[in-house]
Amino acid sequence: MTFANSYRSELLKTKRTASFWLSLLGAGFIPAIYLIAYILKPDGASRQLGEAPWNVHFFMGWQGVGFFLLPMFVVLLCALVTQIEFKNNTWKQVYASPQSYGQIYFSKLLIIHTMIIFFFIAFNLFMLGTGIVSALVHKQLAFLKSSFDVQKLVELNAKMYISTMGIAAIQYWLSLRFKNFIVPMGIGLALLIAAIVATNLGWEHIYKVPFAQPGLTLRYVSQPVKGWLQPHEWNSIIAFVIFTIGGFLDVIYKKEKG
Amino acid sequence: MLIQCCRILLCNNIHCCCVHFHTAHTNYLHFNNNLHYFGSPSYRYMDTFVLQTHNLSHHFSGNRPVLKDISLQVPQGAIYGFLGPNGAGKTTTLRLVLGLLSVQEGSISILGQDLKQHREAVLRQVGSLIEQPSLYGHLTAKENLEVYRRIYDVPKNRIAEVLQQVGLENTGSKKAKQFSLGMKQRLSIGVALLHQPKFLILDEPTNGLDPNGIIETRLLIQQLNREEGVTILVSSHILAEVEKMATHMGIIHQGALLFQGTLRDLQAMKQKQAFVQLETSDNETALNLLQAFAPQRHNGHLLLPFTSRGDVAAANRLLVQGGIDVYHLEQRHNDLEQMFIDLTNEAK
Repeated sequence: MTFANSYRSELLKTKRTASFWLSLLGAGFIPAIYLIAYILKPDGASRQLGEAPWNVHFFMGWQGVGFFLLPMFVVLLCALVTQIEFKNNTWKQVYASPQSYGQIYFSKLLIIHTMIIFFFIAFNLFMLGTGIVSALVHKQLAFLKSSFDVQKLVELNAKMYISTMGIAAIQYWLSLRFKNFIVPMGIGLALLIAAIVATNLGWEHIYKVPFAQPGLTLRYVSQPVKGWLQPHEWNSIIAFVIFTIGGFLDVIYKKEKG
Repeated sequence: MLIQCCRILLCNNIHCCCVHFHTAHTNYLHFNNNLHYFGSPSYRYMDTFVLQTHNLSHHFSGNRPVLKDISLQVPQGAIYGFLGPNGAGKTTTLRLVLGLLSVQEGSISILGQDLKQHREAVLRQVGSLIEQPSLYGHLTAKENLEVYRRIYDVPKNRIAEVLQQVGLENTGSKKAKQFSLGMKQRLSIGVALLHQPKFLILDEPTNGLDPNGIIETRLLIQQLNREEGVTILVSSHILAEVEKMATHMGIIHQGALLFQGTLRDLQAMKQKQAFVQLETSDNETALNLLQAFAPQRHNGHLLLPFTSRGDVAAANRLLVQGGIDVYHLEQRHNDLEQMFIDLTNEAK
C-alpha cells in the first residue's frame, strides 16, 4: 500500500473526465487567439514583438492567462478532481480501502498538481507552436531567426507555478469540504474577482491575498527587484503550507468519512 | 413500527394480515432481557470471532442515540445475517465497523485486531459494499477494478477472475454508468472481492435487484462462504432473504441488538412458540372451561399455547361438551417474521 499505488489509482480515476480536456483547452485558448492574431495581422504583431520576439510572445501569453484564466482553471480543476468521488458516491469505498488518510489526501493533491504542471507544459508547447507556425506563414515574424531564452522562460514558469500554489491549496480544501461543487467554485470566483479589483485599486495588502498572486508575479517579473522570490510569492508558499496542513487535519478529524 | 412491520411482511408474501401478527405479540414470547442471546456455549465462548464489537453506542447531533450497546459477534466461517427494519441502525453499525464513522463509545475488533489502532491492516483483509453501489461511472468494469487493484496491489489476473466470478466478463468498453442496477451491484461485490478478503461486509446487497438478481447474489454469497471460506456479514431488512443463506443472525431494532445467535436457535425458538387460535360462540365461558390450557383472550379470539395435537382435540372436545360452538380452530406457528415483529414490538 505505497503512496505510488494510491497515486496510480487516482490517475486512472481521471481517465475520460473533464479534467484532462479542461487542462488542454485551458492551456490552448490564449495561444490559439495569438495564432489567429499573428496570422491575420502580421505587421502589427511584428512591431509589437520587437527585437526579442520569443520573450515578448511568452510574456504576452502569460499575461493573457495569469490574471484570470489560470486561477479559474485551478478553481475548476480542484472541484473536478474531488467531484469524481462525490458524484460517484465513492468516498466511502476510498476510506474503507487500506490507505492511510495521508495517502488519500496527498495522492489527490498530487493529481491536482500533476494537472497544473500538465497545463503549464501544454501552454508553453502551444505558445511555442504558435510562434513557429505563424513564422512559417509570415516571414516578417522573426521567431525562427531569434534566440530563445530558456532560463528566463523556466524562471517565469516556476514563479507562476509558485504563485498558484496558495490558490490550489485553498480550493482543494474547499472542494473536499463541500459536496456541492457550486460552493467552492462560487467562493473561488468571488475571491478571484475581489482580488483583481483590489489589485487594480492598488490596495497595500494585496500581496497577502493568494488569488492576486499570479497577477502580481506578472507585474513584478519585468521590474528590477531584490531576490528571486518576491514577498507575494513567499506568501503563496505560506498559504499553500497552511491550507494543505489545515485541509489534511480537517480530513483526519472529520467524524463522518465517505 | 406497525407500518414498518407491515412493510416487511408485505415484502415476504406473508399470508396472514398484520393485525393478527400484532395481536399475538408478547403472549407467547416472554423474554427477560433486551438481548435474547441464544446458542450453544461453543458459539458464545469458544468460536473465533472475525468481528467483535463491544458496547458500541453512537449518537448523531441532537443527542438521540442511534446505537445502544451493540455487541456483535460474528464467528469465523459464518454468514451472519444482520437484520432490522429501515432506520434501525444497521448502516450506522457497519459504517463504524469500517471506520467511516468515528467510534464514540465502545470498541471494534476485526480478525483479532483493534480497528482504531490497526485501521489499514484490518481494512486490508476486509471487503465491503455499503449502501448503494460506489463505482466510477465514467470507467468500465475492468477499469473500476483496476482502480482498486492498484491500491491493493494484487496481481493483474485477479481482475479477469473477479469479472468472471460476478458474471461481468463480457461488458467490454461499456461504462459503469450504463450498467443496470443489478450489474452495478455485482461489480460492487466484485470490488469487495478483488483482494480476496477474509471478511466481507455487504450492506443490503440485494437492494433494488430483481428476483433473479437476488437469487444470483445469494448463490454468490453462499459459494464464497463455502468454497473460499470467507466470513460474510450481510445486512437486510427482509428476513426471508437472510433466512435463506445465514448461519447466524443478529436482529437490531431502534439501535438495540434484540437477538443474536445461530439460525437454528432462532428456528428452535419458533418451534416453541406455536399456538392455537380459537373463535367460539361464547368466548367468556370458553375461557373458563379451558383454564387448564392457559388460554388468553385476544381481539375476539382465544389463544392457547400449542402443546400437542391430542391437547388441541381435548380442548375442542371440552368446548363442544360444554355446549359452545367452535367456529374456528387453527394451529399457528410463530414464523420468523412473527418472531421478528414480536421482538421488535417488545422492545418498544
